Amino acid sequence: MNAENGTLVEVKKLRKYFPIRRGIVIQRQVGAIKAVDGVTFDILRGETLGLVGETGCGKTTVGRTILQLYEPTGGEITFDGVNLSDLEGGDLRRIRSRMQMIFQDPYASLNPRMTVGSIIGAPLDVHGVPDGQSKHDRIQDMLELVGLSAYFVNRYPHEFSGGQRQRIGIARALALNPDLVICDEPISSLDVSIQAQVVNLLEELQDRLGLTYLFIAHDLSMVRHISDRMAVMYLGKIVELTDRDEIYLNPLHPYTQALMSAVPVPDPDVAAQRQRVILEGDIPSPADPPKGCNFNTRCPVATDICFVEDPEYLEVEKGHWVACHLVKPEGIEATPH
Amino acid sequence: MTQLLEIKDLKTRFYTDEGVVHAVNGISYDMEVGETLGIVGESGCGKSVHALSIMRLIPSPPGKIVAGEIIFDKDRNLLEISSSEMRHIRGAEIAMVFQDPMTSLNPVYTVGDQIVEALRLHQGMTEAESRERARELLEMVGVPAAAQRLDDYPHQFSGGMRQRAMIAMALSCDPKLLIADEPTTALDVTIQAQIVDLVRRLQEQLGMAIMWITHDLGVVAELAKTINVMYAGYIIERGPVRSIYKSTRHPYTLGLLGSLPRLDEAPGTKLLSIPGLPPDLVALPKGCPFAARCSYRVEQCLEEMPPLERTDDDHTVACWRWEAVAEEVNA
Amino acid sequence: MSEWNPEDLDSVDFAVREHRSLWVDAWRRLISNRTARLGMAIVALFVLSAVLAHYFWDYDPRTDLDYSLKLKPPNLVATEEVASIHPFGTDKLGRDIFRRVVHGGWNSLRVGLVAVGISLSVGGLLGLIAGFFENITPSKAERVFLLGAIGLALGALASWIADQTLQMFLFAGIGIFAALREDLLEGRFMRTVLFGLLGLIVGAGLGMMASPYVAIVTGVLGLLTGVVLGLPIRGQLVTTIIMRAMDILLAFPTYLLAIAIVAFLGPGLEKGMIAIGVVGIPIYARLVRSTVISVVQKEYILAAQATGEGHGRIIFRHILPNTLSPVIVQTTMGLASAILSAAALGFLGLGAIPPEPEWGAILGASYRYLASGAWWAVTFPGLAIMLSVLGFNLLGDGLRDALDPKLQI
Repeated sequence: MNAENGTLVEVKKLRKYFPIRRGIVIQRQVGAIKAVDGVTFDILRGETLGLVGETGCGKTTVGRTILQLYEPTGGEITFDGVNLSDLEGGDLRRIRSRMQMIFQDPYASLNPRMTVGSIIGAPLDVHGVPDGQSKHDRIQDMLELVGLSAYFVNRYPHEFSGGQRQRIGIARALALNPDLVICDEPISSLDVSIQAQVVNLLEELQDRLGLTYLFIAHDLSMVRHISDRMAVMYLGKIVELTDRDEIYLNPLHPYTQALMSAVPVPDPDVAAQRQRVILEGDIPSPADPPKGCNFNTRCPVATDICFVEDPEYLEVEKGHWVACHLVKPEGIEATPH
Repeated sequence: MTQLLEIKDLKTRFYTDEGVVHAVNGISYDMEVGETLGIVGESGCGKSVHALSIMRLIPSPPGKIVAGEIIFDKDRNLLEISSSEMRHIRGAEIAMVFQDPMTSLNPVYTVGDQIVEALRLHQGMTEAESRERARELLEMVGVPAAAQRLDDYPHQFSGGMRQRAMIAMALSCDPKLLIADEPTTALDVTIQAQIVDLVRRLQEQLGMAIMWITHDLGVVAELAKTINVMYAGYIIERGPVRSIYKSTRHPYTLGLLGSLPRLDEAPGTKLLSIPGLPPDLVALPKGCPFAARCSYRVEQCLEEMPPLERTDDDHTVACWRWEAVAEEVNA
Repeated sequence: MSEWNPEDLDSVDFAVREHRSLWVDAWRRLISNRTARLGMAIVALFVLSAVLAHYFWDYDPRTDLDYSLKLKPPNLVATEEVASIHPFGTDKLGRDIFRRVVHGGWNSLRVGLVAVGISLSVGGLLGLIAGFFENITPSKAERVFLLGAIGLALGALASWIADQTLQMFLFAGIGIFAALREDLLEGRFMRTVLFGLLGLIVGAGLGMMASPYVAIVTGVLGLLTGVVLGLPIRGQLVTTIIMRAMDILLAFPTYLLAIAIVAFLGPGLEKGMIAIGVVGIPIYARLVRSTVISVVQKEYILAAQATGEGHGRIIFRHILPNTLSPVIVQTTMGLASAILSAAALGFLGLGAIPPEPEWGAILGASYRYLASGAWWAVTFPGLAIMLSVLGFNLLGDGLRDALDPKLQI
């Protein structure tokens, strides 16, 4: 971790609601999907922050809102000291070139009608790099950087396998030399042996180029592998945020504990021994979250207050943030192990 | 132990415009009554195709089972019986649960109707009996308020609940073998844990054999008794679960295990990735299909496909260099 | 197999599929399909004969007349009675049917191309706008353009009723004003009232110049238009307006609508083209909209937005190339149905004006002689219609199979 280098991204009380509209011609808003509902965290320069959670927890929305692909409903995003909501037009575009994204589906994220060269060149075009030898060289360099042959520039995406396509996606994201790369489930649609290739490549690129990653995924062990610190999201909120070892050794939120115990371990001895917390029921709809703590419908240790009051997101130990009524800053009460 | 299923030299191919896809290339193994077999492999390794071959559900054309025998329940060769007998076996004796719970239920019928339909087809129950049984089944798989939920449509069920309903449907006729093809891949981890727990409980209760097909070495580690590792249409390693994970003998299995981050790993651990890509099933190389990606490769690997060889008790492996692998694993 | 070092992580580039473009792939699939080849052959025969006849075989229908050859059966050799050769026989005016059918092909081809061109360009543009802005928020400039265009289009009706061109431009002005001043009384009922009143004043005020009755109608229309323009502009509003208009067009039976338009414009081949073209607009609008929606939701559009690509670039580089396949298929099929519609109009005497040769018109002029045994006068133009429609449909089916992305591995 390079904490001394300071904070690159600061997210404060970020909210993103998607309106639900009804009506044929004149549409009225009848509700909202609270995809992200008050999320606060920061990303330090040069680190990897993991964001883990299950389907519909809002982790993808967080990533896209930071990139300004969605307009936030509330809250603040600061990138390198600049509040993004203050920016417009050219300034926004310039700062945007310093944040890039790697997408989940390597089949859907590359335009099938464009050559690899023009896919990687697109961000260069948009940000005013003129056609010519230097642009051409840059594209070839990017291909080689991600472990593909420069000779592939004129090929089409369908000629490549999933893992190779993901490399093309990474090359596109890195073409503009960004500071921050948001990796949105970059490996979850790849085969196991290819996942490791891509993760190793991402780690190697981070070392070489000094990148900062926001690594979003549902696979807890993979997120823990690549991250320096990690945040666990549930139904639009961060329930726990701490560094990678702390979250394994000392998970405080009951959801983190359950999630940790649900991760399958590729070791029959460990699997036979460990105690599992099996959560009952399903994740509630983000259009209609429960009153009180979001997790109260499935929490094995919920008490009365959990059904009434939303727990505050507090720093209970140095660098360890938890949102749970049962976890208090002064000490730890009622940890269900 | 009595044998439930015996597969001998099964070969399945697809005849496409691009060429002949060698999906399953002569696999042989057997399964005992009540056993849980894990079939592990990456996409395109033939694990699903081989399951569909057992069910005789290979779309034909372009697919064709070109060779082999599938002996089920002592003496019936599933590849030779008539299609009406096969229809009876499907559902009543071998049931299957698929990956995508969103599309494997028909959206225009209620969940209850679909279970009732299966019961009446195979068990010849009356409407009232089968409805009662359907409710019992839903209760058994842990669907809360089962009586009311019978009249719900699939879209009113969550993904986990749909998969439960699929399992209820599969279990409706007390099958001897349940083939689960990536049943938890589309689900979240906490829901996956619920389903795995449910299946294990149901197996204790009902005693059927389970074939669990997956790409996830984690899930089968806690479920299966025996594991088949597949690659490019071959079984390249097979053995008791502990032996596969602890005394790995094939470089591919070793690579797969090394590609997985462990929850308890130390900081700074590097993943061991397998370089390269699986071979094109249209143009399989001459020798071992894994040779091109293998760090143990010798000249022989490029020339000849290694046979499945017994290493110790029940552990078999198809590798010329398994002894070298064993040495490294033990070290 | 070449030697390489398995430790070398960077060597992932050894297994790539053969290099070919998607179009080459599609072409290969198309020519390997037997029915598509048959379709192509028929279409080629039809197009070639029509084009060659038009440019190299002069024909003046006005002077083509020979009563001595009235209703002669087909002959392939000259006889004493009929000195000239007529492979398809002759019609009631003694005209060579072969010659008329071949020249009629040129007219049918023209009608097909122009009508489909009208449907495709108008319908395609509307579908593109509807599909794109349903999912992507329009920028300020785009909102000004969109509201202006909506004002112009909705105002056109009032404009036509009052016979004043000025009205529609004033409504366009209201639309532009509404887009520029989105903050004016934002979210309040007064905004609706304000723009409704503005529309009423423009509609009724200008309508008064024509007559009080016109003023009542245009006033109501103006009020409604004003209310719509005052709504908070979102992509969905544009989509709703376009697609509901398309639904209204689709609610009319195809042929009745075409006949009504021809009745309004007057008969003639060119009017027929416009009528058939207008009737086809909603088909293309719906097709393009649904295709655009499916493309817009792909991650590569998100990726393009993430790199900061503008809307124009996204449309031309990402969306249009990926909507081509279904549009090509529909256009091919559309040619068949346009030819059929043209023949129907011609048969009813609403298309080509006699003596201009056109398949439907030839049929219409000759079917009365069927009873007197002149089968050839209807058989050959009928066959021409049937074969050309079949040819385009077979080709369309083949193209669908060839371009179907499900088959792309």
